[in-house]
Amino acid sequence: MNKLIEVLWPSFLVAGLAEIVFFTVINPQELYFFGEPVRVSAIATYSIGFFGFWLICGASSLTTLFFQRGSEEINHPERFQDS
Amino acid sequence: MSDQATSREAQGPAAAPTQEESLYAVRQKVYVRAVSGLFAKWRWGLVWFTQLLFYGLCWIPWNGRQAVLFHVVERKFYIFGWVFWPQDVFFLAILLIISAYALFFFTAIAGRLWCGYACPQTVYTEIFMWIEQKIEGDRNKRMKLDKSDMSGRKARVKGLKYAAWIALSLWTGFTFVGYFTPIRELVQSALTLSFGPWELFWILFYSSFTYLMAGVMREQVCKYMCPYARFQGVMFDPDTLVITYDEERGEPRGARKKGVEPRALGKGDCVDCGICVQVCPTGIDIRDGMQYECIGCAACIDACDQVMEKMNYPKGLIRYSTENAVKKHWGMKEILAHVMRPRTLIYGTILGVVTLAFVWGLATRSPLRVDIIRDRASLAREVADGYIENAYRLQVMNMTEAPRSFALTLEGAEGLRMVGPETIEIGPATTQAVTIQAQIPYGVLEPGSHGIHVVVQALDNAKVRVKEHTTFIMPR
Repeated sequence: MNKLIEVLWPSFLVAGLAEIVFFTVINPQELYFFGEPVRVSAIATYSIGFFGFWLICGASSLTTLFFQRGSEEINHPERFQDS
Repeated sequence: MSDQATSREAQGPAAAPTQEESLYAVRQKVYVRAVSGLFAKWRWGLVWFTQLLFYGLCWIPWNGRQAVLFHVVERKFYIFGWVFWPQDVFFLAILLIISAYALFFFTAIAGRLWCGYACPQTVYTEIFMWIEQKIEGDRNKRMKLDKSDMSGRKARVKGLKYAAWIALSLWTGFTFVGYFTPIRELVQSALTLSFGPWELFWILFYSSFTYLMAGVMREQVCKYMCPYARFQGVMFDPDTLVITYDEERGEPRGARKKGVEPRALGKGDCVDCGICVQVCPTGIDIRDGMQYECIGCAACIDACDQVMEKMNYPKGLIRYSTENAVKKHWGMKEILAHVMRPRTLIYGTILGVVTLAFVWGLATRSPLRVDIIRDRASLAREVADGYIENAYRLQVMNMTEAPRSFALTLEGAEGLRMVGPETIEIGPATTQAVTIQAQIPYGVLEPGSHGIHVVVQALDNAKVRVKEHTTFIMPR
């Protein structure tokens, strides 16, 4: 639970920022998806865009968390079961 | 962290009456005692102000539309008489800078004013706690209820509370989405239950968020999730007003009978009643000194003042004061004299300048914008009468909310003439593409690129005029 929040929450904040900046600059109606113009509604594009950003940011948070483990934790994972 | 957790667990159920599933750290549920007083009045004033604004603003009509609407589908932000386009992102950036500096400025002067009185987290928690108090009763009743076994009454009381919370959350989510999709259309969709899938999704998303943050997580949001809480400390200095316990006056703390002179018992003014801890929404003890968990809500000031009044002691054992003031025994006069200091002056000056720039920019914002794109297919071509022609596509944006007519002219070169519409009418808050051709007799200009201007002029107002530069290419 703890780790889940550590991944989801910071990435949520950053995804919100990224969403605002990206869609202020770029009109979703002018986007192309595999060479096809985006046909879904604007709200859907914004929403999917947000979750896309969240996913990417979440992946980054997860990677940070993954590399943060000390050697002790990698060598003896059984001692860190409860955290 | 784990040490702390185990030691707390070791204290057993007596120390931790209700221990919830841990989100961040092992948490003891905070039962906040309701408080009244000067600062509570301020907080409630701001709850009313911000929430009337939030729940009300989306219903105000203006020019036949919603007064405040961030229309993401049309990519236009309507704020009363103004219409903002993506091209106006500059204003958004300035607004963010203003907000940031306002936050720095007020934090430097009086600590976490934002957190204690105006932050949505505080405001919604306050409302949710008010509902809880009305339905479940005061602090002692709530603790008793939580400890008691499940019964018909408990289920009823809890169910009622959750229902009220859910209703408020749904209304909040609905209002939130109403700022991005016209709210009256949303009402129509609600009546016929025909929301768009994403609209419904975002209403539920924001509702659950409100419920989770204000109903369940509360102080944990401030303690663990809020980025501002982590860095607000850098804006503090020894002259910042913060909620302070006067240790010198209060210690040694201890119980005593009313009417006894505390000094005679060798005691300070603190009666150790613990009410300052009970009213604290983050569950800290202000008597331990300044802590990052303190959101500056001043509930402990209100509570302590009431106790001091009952004891016939002077108020202000816990009060707004500064580190220097406590150390050097300053009064209000010296504290106020130290409000003006380099830090506040710098924050204040930047805030003032940026705010002026914002107002000036808004006041002088042109209601007309013209973008010129040269025809990419051919740079120049020869037409009849020995003229050379260049083609341009104009994007003319009428940023006002009334239709407007504009005259198009070209200037900047000898023999220059224009082919295309001389006047155009553009609908309210609309962009129109216009194709025009510029023609110049061959040989009048040297071969190469020459600057010319496209002039777009409103017919009804001589001041609404845009002169855009572009180039004319004369072939060899």
